[in-house]
Amino acid sequence: MFLIFSKLKKKTMDVYTTNLVVLKIIKHYQEEGQGSEVVQGVLLGLVVDDRLEITNCFPFPQHTEDDADFDEVQYQMEMMRSLRHVNIDHLHVGWYQSTYYGSFVSRALLDSQFSYQHAIEESVVLIYDPIKTAQGSLSLKAYRLTPKLMEICKEKDFTPEGLKKANIGFEQMFEEVPIVIKNSHLINVLMWELEDKSTVADKHELLNLSSSNHLEKSLQLLMDRVDDMSQDIVKYNTYSRNLSKQQQQKHQYLQRRQQENAQRQSRGEPPLPEEDISKLFKPPQPPPRMDTLLIAGQINNYCQNVKEFTSQNLGKLFMAEALQGHN
Amino acid sequence: MSRFFARSDSESEESSSDDEITDKAPGATFKQSLLLSDDEEDTKRVVRSAKDKRFEELTNLIKTIRNAMKIRDMSKCLEEFEQLCRAFLKSKNIVDKEGIPPFYIRLLADLEDYLNQLWEDKEGKKKMNKNNAKALSTLRQKIRKYNRDFESEIAAYKENPQESADEEEEEKEPEDSGSSSDSEGEVSSKSFLKKKPEAPSEATKFLKTAKGSGDESSSSDEDDDDGDWSPSDTGSSSETSDKEEENALKRKRLVTFLKVQRAQDTEKPGVRKEERKKKPKQKEQIEEEAEEEGGWEKVNRGVPLVKEKPKMFAKGTEINTAVVVKKLNEILQARGKKGTDRAAQIELFHALAAIAAENNLGQGILVKIKFNIIASLYDYNPNLAAFMKPDMWKKCLDCIDELLDILFEHNNIFIGENIAEDSENLAVSDQPFRVRGCILTLVERMDEEFTKIMQNTDPHSQEYVDNLKDEGRVCGIVDRLLTYLENKGSTEEICRVYLRRIMHTYYKFDYKAHRRSLGLQGETKSEQDQEESKEESKEESKEESKGESEGEDSAVIMDRLCKFIYAKDRTDRIRTCAILCHIYHHALHSRWYQARDLMLMSHLQDNIQHADPPVQILYNRTMVQLGICAFRQGMIKDAHNALLDIQSSGRAKELLGQGLLMRNMQERNAEQEKIEKRRQVPFHMHINLELLECVYLVSAMLLEIPYMAAHEFDARRRMISKQFHHQLRVGERQPLLGPPESMREHVVAASKAMKMGDWRTCHSFIINEKMNSKVWDLFPEAQRVREMLVRKIQEESLRTYLFTYSSVYDSISMATLSEMFELEMPTVHSIISKMIINEELMASLDQPTQTVVMHRTEPTSLQNMALQLAEKLGNLVENNERVFDLKQGVYGGYFNRDQKGGYQQKQSYQRDQKSYQQKQSGYQRGGYRNQNQGNY
Repeated sequence: MFLIFSKLKKKTMDVYTTNLVVLKIIKHYQEEGQGSEVVQGVLLGLVVDDRLEITNCFPFPQHTEDDADFDEVQYQMEMMRSLRHVNIDHLHVGWYQSTYYGSFVSRALLDSQFSYQHAIEESVVLIYDPIKTAQGSLSLKAYRLTPKLMEICKEKDFTPEGLKKANIGFEQMFEEVPIVIKNSHLINVLMWELEDKSTVADKHELLNLSSSNHLEKSLQLLMDRVDDMSQDIVKYNTYSRNLSKQQQQKHQYLQRRQQENAQRQSRGEPPLPEEDISKLFKPPQPPPRMDTLLIAGQINNYCQNVKEFTSQNLGKLFMAEALQGHN
Repeated sequence: MSRFFARSDSESEESSSDDEITDKAPGATFKQSLLLSDDEEDTKRVVRSAKDKRFEELTNLIKTIRNAMKIRDMSKCLEEFEQLCRAFLKSKNIVDKEGIPPFYIRLLADLEDYLNQLWEDKEGKKKMNKNNAKALSTLRQKIRKYNRDFESEIAAYKENPQESADEEEEEKEPEDSGSSSDSEGEVSSKSFLKKKPEAPSEATKFLKTAKGSGDESSSSDEDDDDGDWSPSDTGSSSETSDKEEENALKRKRLVTFLKVQRAQDTEKPGVRKEERKKKPKQKEQIEEEAEEEGGWEKVNRGVPLVKEKPKMFAKGTEINTAVVVKKLNEILQARGKKGTDRAAQIELFHALAAIAAENNLGQGILVKIKFNIIASLYDYNPNLAAFMKPDMWKKCLDCIDELLDILFEHNNIFIGENIAEDSENLAVSDQPFRVRGCILTLVERMDEEFTKIMQNTDPHSQEYVDNLKDEGRVCGIVDRLLTYLENKGSTEEICRVYLRRIMHTYYKFDYKAHRRSLGLQGETKSEQDQEESKEESKEESKEESKGESEGEDSAVIMDRLCKFIYAKDRTDRIRTCAILCHIYHHALHSRWYQARDLMLMSHLQDNIQHADPPVQILYNRTMVQLGICAFRQGMIKDAHNALLDIQSSGRAKELLGQGLLMRNMQERNAEQEKIEKRRQVPFHMHINLELLECVYLVSAMLLEIPYMAAHEFDARRRMISKQFHHQLRVGERQPLLGPPESMREHVVAASKAMKMGDWRTCHSFIINEKMNSKVWDLFPEAQRVREMLVRKIQEESLRTYLFTYSSVYDSISMATLSEMFELEMPTVHSIISKMIINEELMASLDQPTQTVVMHRTEPTSLQNMALQLAEKLGNLVENNERVFDLKQGVYGGYFNRDQKGGYQQKQSYQRDQKSYQQKQSGYQRGGYRNQNQGNY
């Protein structure tokens, strides 16, 4: 058996996964994904003690807009039933998704992961980065929503106030779960053998020195996000300005009312009736902050990627320089 | 008379009746032959049984119709009429043999008149029941349509109604009572019917008798008569429709009186009767309107009148100027009135002219009459929007020509608009003649009509070409007038006629001069100087060379005319037009600097938006021509700037007055559309739009591609030409790129090649057979333009190449570059030097090795990206600070918070950023980045 494992800090559990799953995901991307397109699929497995073992998976079929009557749920059920017949773990433990230069933090991901996690507490999302993988090192990451974020999502309170109350930042949105890829000994043996046989060039892909292309792409994406962020901030800015303006008006209004009442009292007249202030001053619609949060998370993600990439590259460059010198 | 009740209700009918008028003239000439056949037929009718049977059927039907008409049973009438039509169709072969039976025609005519009367009789119509009213309207329409086939016959009938038929005899008796009972308003339909054929017949009878009896009355007698009539004439015509009712009464009385009189004195010449009869006709507008409606007979009465008139005059023996003038005024009085037979009027004038010529009344009167002929020719079309018929116009052209002939021959004729009617001198030949009238206006009008004709002719038809051939005559007339006015006219008039001349000259390319200058080019470099000297010499010999002005260089003519206008004109409009035309002409003949200087000196660009639309169109045309001229001269930037405004709007067609855009249909109503249509430039003056677009796109390409290459990584690069970018995008969107077909595709393909610095491909896309035939061959100096283009393409490709690929070179030899782009070394050298000086290229020239050494200070794309990101982050931070400001309640902004330690760091980061950028901007191409720093 090949397993993928994942460890949950509090709730125990590493994610244990298997070669089979990894290869299936990679194959799925290779076959169907290209460029910035994303492939998705379902992870199957079971919870054992404090581990989440992912033992199998199957892809969501790519479907176009024309066959709108395609029922995804139906398909999943069918699939799982069929797998059960061949004695494969059929429990739903999460889903996987490919990514393009690390851009996966999105509203869609949040929503679907929330619904998964809401139904099955242990479920994770595996993010597979084909580009990094192509550069020589497998990039597979398991994420889960933090309990805090879960709560917010449950309440669906994305206003600035709500987020403030929940005290959540972009750092605390997702938690990464460590993955352990566990293979049977037979497979391990095979792997060793394969490693011996593979050519040198295959192994040294990670020594590739060209960097600008990858960095450019990352920067491009990063820039886009930054633009979005700027827009959001401007939006928020106008909102808060409007809010404060209104607050001022409200305040003035109240003061005037008070003065008037005081005058009336001194004249012995009954005070003016209290009016519903909230009706007079409808507070402006606060912009939802969740997107901003997500963008921040995404930017963070990009930065991490770039940082990681540059540091690796820097190392490589130094190495190359040293080599050059010795030649 | 029955006509009193007739009233036209709409003008549209008028126009249709106009057509009929012209058609009727030949109808009248048929008359004689038709009459003959009619007579024959009557005798034959008894003999043939088949014919008899058919005709009996017809007559029976006709009888029922007449009965129905009597009792005003419209639905019955309609029914019977339909039957009649069918029956007539059945008897077609007989009719073909025999000719249309006269009684049938009579019925048609009568029925139509009757219907028209009923139609006009609004009150009566109201009284009618619904069925009848409905039947009336359908029948009316039907008969109108039906009668169109028998137009000539009916006309003939109305001309001279036959009295052979039995019914006719019956109808004859109530004639007088009918006319008197008219005044009661309630007239039986029958009496209407009967009278109508009667009156004309009587008239003709009189006519015959008059002819027979000879002319006893003198012309003076007649004049008196005229005098009697004229007051009532003018009076009644000026009456408003409110008073029509009572006037009608009066008029009727007049008419009846006339009739009685006519009946009494048969001795008087019939022609005079005719004339009198005509006069009430002119007086009574309502009556005239009836005529418009469908009263064939009246118009036709008019036609023979016209024929008669000259005869009458001739017989009136003593014809002198006064008489003719009187007559002229008489005719003129009818002018402009509704329903006046304009064709007849023209005829009258012609006849009058002939009489005047015959009797040697002197040139004065002839000129006067000619003026009036031309004016009435213009009057022929009641609607300003409609255009004259080419043959009418040609007549007019002839007239003007003749008039000019007279004016040239006789130096002692003065014409002017401001000569008062009574101070005219038409008769006394020892003194100079003085005639009121303005030939300039007539010529101008003629010219406008010419434009209208050209606008309304299909430009791709032979007709258009034929019409266009007349342009020479127009020019000739304008030229003659010009010569005439130069001697006699005031400055304003000269300016006006000069402008006309200019308008006919400015858009024509002077091939002769072009050829001449080509021949001379070798000898003298400065064409301009030569021209000026030529001009001076010409100025002196202006008088003599006037005649052979065809051979004269059009540039010289333009120059002379325009300069005169600049100096003398006092109306702004003429000067503006003259300047624009002058510029256009310069531009057309590739005198770029003169054209440009004139444009700049005139300051027209500042205030052209206050001009009226035709001038604006002219301005647009001029700008476009200027742009094309600049392009031919290789001033790509100027060309682009000149064409930008016209092209960027996407409405070049509309702006140049060369067609209306369909999409504007909702935005304007029919009225506006008509106005806009009138502004259109005739086809032969059009500027080729494809050429225009091509010139624009190619110049945009030559500017934009190097610019794009230079600013590839700049986030804020501006587009030079939106339209060009649009075309590029359209090209990119194509899923499959085949070989280019249209001109645009060619340019787009060429742009793509140029982006790679591949000038050969670019060249082959821009200059090939397709493009040659579509665009380049349209230039007069096609070869020169092509050479210029190739060179430009080479140069700009070199620049693009250097921009795009300089980062991959450490150094590049100029020899290689010159070889690559097939440019001479000095050119390459100068281009590169220019780029270095403009800080577009970070390089230096290494003189000994003739190489360009790159400095490699350009930021790589990654660095550029990083810079952009930094900039964006700066903005982000700034925005963030604002949010924070709000929270803190400090509105002072970012700069006031120096004391707050937390931001100081950030600010210094910002400063670093700034200084870094400043350093950078030194390297930035162009250095326009500086403006961004205002943000910090």
